[in-house]
Amino acid sequence: MAGIGFALRRLAYRDDLMGIVQGYAHSAVVSSGPWLFTILAVGSINLFAIYLTSLAELTTFRIILIYNFAFSLAFSGPVLLVATRYLADMIFRKDVVEAPGMLLASMLLLLGSQAPVVVSFYIFAVDLAPVVVAAALMNYFLVTAIWLVNIFLTALKDYSSITLAFLVGMAAGGGAGIWLAGEFGAVGILMGFNLGLGLILFSLVARVFAEYPYRITRPFAFIGHFRRYWDLALAGLFYNLAIWVDKWVMWFAPEREQLPSGFISYPVYDGAMFLAYLSIVPAMAVFIVNIETRFFEHYQRFYRDIQHHANYARILENHSALIQALLAASRNVLVLQFCLCIAAILVAGELFAVVGIPALQLGIFRFGVLGALFHVLLMFVGIVIAYFDLRRVLMWIQVLYLVLNGAFTWVTLELGFPWYGYGYFMASLVTFLVAYAVCARNVARLPFLTFVRNNASVS
Amino acid sequence: MDRVDRFEPVDVCLVLEGTYPYVAGGVSSWVHDLVRAQKDLTFHIVSLMPGTRPPERRYEMPQNVRGINHVFLQHLVPGARWMPRLDKRLAALEAPLRAMQSTGTLHDLRDVLDVLQKSGRRFGRHTLLNSEPAWRLLLRVYEADMSESSFLDYFWTWRSLIGGLFNVLLSPMPDAKVFHTISTGYAGLFAARAKLETGRPVLLTEHGIYTNERRIEIAMADWLYEGPGGSLGLSKPKRDLKDLWIDTFVAYSRSCYQACDRIITLYSGNQDLQRRDGADESKLRIVPNGVDYERFSQIERIPHDRPTVALVGRVVPIKDIKTFIRAVGILKREVPDVLAYLMGPTDEDEDYHRECLQMVEHLELQETLIFTGRVKLDEWLGKVDVMVLTSISEAQPLVILEGGAAGIPTVSTDVGACRDMLHGMPGEEPPLGAGGAITPLSNPAATARELAALLKDPQNLESARNAIRERVRLYYNKVEIDRIYHEIYIEEIAEPTLPPEQRVPPRAPAEAA
Repeated sequence: MAGIGFALRRLAYRDDLMGIVQGYAHSAVVSSGPWLFTILAVGSINLFAIYLTSLAELTTFRIILIYNFAFSLAFSGPVLLVATRYLADMIFRKDVVEAPGMLLASMLLLLGSQAPVVVSFYIFAVDLAPVVVAAALMNYFLVTAIWLVNIFLTALKDYSSITLAFLVGMAAGGGAGIWLAGEFGAVGILMGFNLGLGLILFSLVARVFAEYPYRITRPFAFIGHFRRYWDLALAGLFYNLAIWVDKWVMWFAPEREQLPSGFISYPVYDGAMFLAYLSIVPAMAVFIVNIETRFFEHYQRFYRDIQHHANYARILENHSALIQALLAASRNVLVLQFCLCIAAILVAGELFAVVGIPALQLGIFRFGVLGALFHVLLMFVGIVIAYFDLRRVLMWIQVLYLVLNGAFTWVTLELGFPWYGYGYFMASLVTFLVAYAVCARNVARLPFLTFVRNNASVS
Repeated sequence: MDRVDRFEPVDVCLVLEGTYPYVAGGVSSWVHDLVRAQKDLTFHIVSLMPGTRPPERRYEMPQNVRGINHVFLQHLVPGARWMPRLDKRLAALEAPLRAMQSTGTLHDLRDVLDVLQKSGRRFGRHTLLNSEPAWRLLLRVYEADMSESSFLDYFWTWRSLIGGLFNVLLSPMPDAKVFHTISTGYAGLFAARAKLETGRPVLLTEHGIYTNERRIEIAMADWLYEGPGGSLGLSKPKRDLKDLWIDTFVAYSRSCYQACDRIITLYSGNQDLQRRDGADESKLRIVPNGVDYERFSQIERIPHDRPTVALVGRVVPIKDIKTFIRAVGILKREVPDVLAYLMGPTDEDEDYHRECLQMVEHLELQETLIFTGRVKLDEWLGKVDVMVLTSISEAQPLVILEGGAAGIPTVSTDVGACRDMLHGMPGEEPPLGAGGAITPLSNPAATARELAALLKDPQNLESARNAIRERVRLYYNKVEIDRIYHEIYIEEIAEPTLPPEQRVPPRAPAEAA
């Protein structure tokens, strides 16, 4: 008997079939947080800035803010998504001692890698007073750091801490900004705003360290995840580039403005777009709540029952329940967003007149609202795709969105002012349709993906 | 199929599953000795292994082994990423694969092989295991046969059993005049495929009965989900996954038996099990293992002060070393100055070894029981008075014969051929007497009692010494056994190649008879 045969156990399955189901979810939701904040911050400033237009300095403040938000999101995307995934893996393993070290290391990586570009941009590319440069840089690093800290709390699903910190911080920042504006102009608003951001950042950091009271261990271990999740990192980069690329293209419009300080922008387009984005805030809230409750329940049951030795009939049952939940969630959001979109388009004229926004922006705003309708739907499809850990699919969809948004917007530049905003609308629509088709096909064959294609134990 | 030209044509292709030259042990030594004894024949080795890389070799292979190739059972070649009409091709596999998981025969194996060979080397894990058509095939078979059982467990069962089958059928086929497999299972499948593909004679020498070993392993497997209720129910309602595993291994064995021209085993107890799994009576034959009587009979007694017993074997649970340790503990009360050796490698199951060491410490046997590690038996046997075997399962442990040739009786559990060797095969004429003693399994007291009886009675010991030495000389002499195998090989090498239609026996011979 000696020697013949070998331990059957070795042939048996390893237990990582389900991998880190929970982990996928976090990286899905985390990408929408900073975007939501950006919309709220820039959108509100656009909305309320009209009452402060007497301040010529406001333009500088606004442009610095838009530049900082746009570029920090684009540059941080890869690190943010990979760090989120690493953190989620740690939480799934129930071994989070590396978390504080990782926070510091990824902070260092984020700020360190971006500092050379940002510092040289503010010193050499634009012409600002040194004190404004200092405030602008401070603002950039604060914003970037907040994106990062945010993921630690999202992974904990500690939304109330985040919300509270942001509310208090933004109120303080807004108040201080307005108060300092009279005395110090752009620097004043910027520093006031920075004060608010600093408040947010440090209260969040404190919250994170309270949650992970461990010594710094293996801070740079997460770097290894870049090789494993390079597709996720690229998806993060491409997504953030895609949502800004139409604005950057529009900065080449003949109507663009160049500030004396050297900043290029096209406030008519940017402003209208940010107002349009405000329309998706309710839908995002509804969808995230939906996803986190009804859908997530079915999602977990699908995987849990497999792990608990369900037969295939049961797996199929759970599969279709999951699809039903997804459809229900999408229907709610679609109806809500569609109504909001129509309403916004209809009342835009009246509204603009009342709050005093130049009617020039109306056309762009209307296309923007239509585009935002499909943009938000696209985001949800992206979140669903991320939930099922179809990283490569996600990456290609973001590439498509980036290319289409850039190309279509470029075409509208050629077509002239009446078409401005149409590129963003078409890019969102087409990418959404493609993403929906791809997502539907993949969700339909979820059991196959779960067992074979996405199964780390299957070689 | 392809790649055959890389292998040098040989007389005999040995098909080995998880043994020689990588695992030290009885079967591996047997293979090593067989190859060395047949000096005028050339060999090729097909080694079926778990894992993805061959481990370190434990044996230096003789010159007449001209080639070795590996089949890593759980690592199917990638093959083409895509094939036209894959759904249709795989559908042709459905019926024979279902059969291979229940009552399959060589005919079903041929049907599987036919489908795979039509597409040559394009088939691989991409198409056969990881494609959507393969997924649909799995689902259809699951729904047809096992729709109530855990799908997760079925999925891995399929990948393990059917994946291994594909692997065996897609691996390169050496050019040999005779194929000789040393077990059924996957090695047996390979031999059966060799028969179907080449029409050359196929031999089987089965030491332990493969299906029996799998039965034990599967019954004990805690990684296979048994479903709610488990074994508590009064009547088992349905065929569960454990049944499927066993049925599949039996189907593999059945196919192998049907393909084999000769089915050899070591002792008659095994033949009942072979018949049960479908082996044809006319092919059955017993050839026991032999030892080098000349060499071992010349080992000289080395004078020593303490009465000495020894267990020669690997430190693994199947040898039940713990019973041996307990027996030594009991024996020490009767024979206080007894010295016990455990001669064998300890690295195969480190955890078990550690537990054994703890037990020695606990029973305060540090001065009595010594782990020697692997040793040269010739140098150590002279110091041993009685050998011990406490295995819960064995085929024909050669160490009883090696010690026996040197005039050392053995106290052994009643497993495999041990009774034959110690008390003589049925009908031994003239009776030579007991060459030791047989004890029940896992009974340290009985082992200790029999050891004490020999150690404390010089006359009893002397007659056991003579009986076992004489029996080995007459019936278990390796020179004689080697001659038998040589004869078998020469006869089979001379056989003509069978035309394809004669490679499979007529369907269902049982019904025809």
